[in-house]
Amino acid sequence: MRIYEELFIVNPDSAEEEIDQLVEQLRQVIADGGGAIEKVEKWGVRRLAYPVQKHDDGYYILLQFGSSPDTVKEIERRLRVADQVLKFITVRIDRNLKRLEKRKKQREKRAARKPPPASPVPQAPAAEPFEAEVAAGESEAEK
Amino acid sequence: MAEPRGRPLSASQRPTGSDKAIATGKRQYFRRRKVCRFCVEKIDDINYKNVRLLSAFVSERGKITPRRISGVCTPHQRRLSEAIKQARNIALLPFASPL
Repeated sequence: MRIYEELFIVNPDSAEEEIDQLVEQLRQVIADGGGAIEKVEKWGVRRLAYPVQKHDDGYYILLQFGSSPDTVKEIERRLRVADQVLKFITVRIDRNLKRLEKRKKQREKRAARKPPPASPVPQAPAAEPFEAEVAAGESEAEK
Repeated sequence: MAEPRGRPLSASQRPTGSDKAIATGKRQYFRRRKVCRFCVEKIDDINYKNVRLLSAFVSERGKITPRRISGVCTPHQRRLSEAIKQARNIALLPFASPL
């Protein structure tokens, strides 16, 4: 299951209930496809960087969810059909999240390995030669 | 501009003077060794939603600042570029703003 992020802009003049209805619809689609919603964020009305369909501001909604690619197609279809939706973008973020996790772990490991107060002694750890190169490189840079 | 570089080391290690020299017409070598802001501050998440971060790398006209001016390292510049283009598509950043 891949994790996607959907950011879409709704007509700023539309009523709150219509927006909620739309979000509910999308929730339904995701649930039907066997997906899971991670978070729903309503950013509210924001100024647009350029006029979109003659509007200067729009109501932004962020939707983060995990699902299969077919569900995403369905969601995009619904957004395209909906009259109130001005723009939308779907980004696949599971790879990014994995990379961030990996980076965080690398950083924590490196922090734990260094002697307590920051004395940039070039480390020579037994394993990963690449890590050693990067660590040595960074401590060299800090000098 | 494509100089063969070996294993990607941190940007602060790589001599950036050479392409600056060519760029500025060989007037000054190693004028001011610029380091990649992302490598130094260890910012991992270059997100299209982070308009404040992105707009620091965009000119007044809305154009993406080149790597030789901003001093960003290649992989980060690529991610930055992609994020800026995504932000433009969703109207968080302009495509072109009047001077």
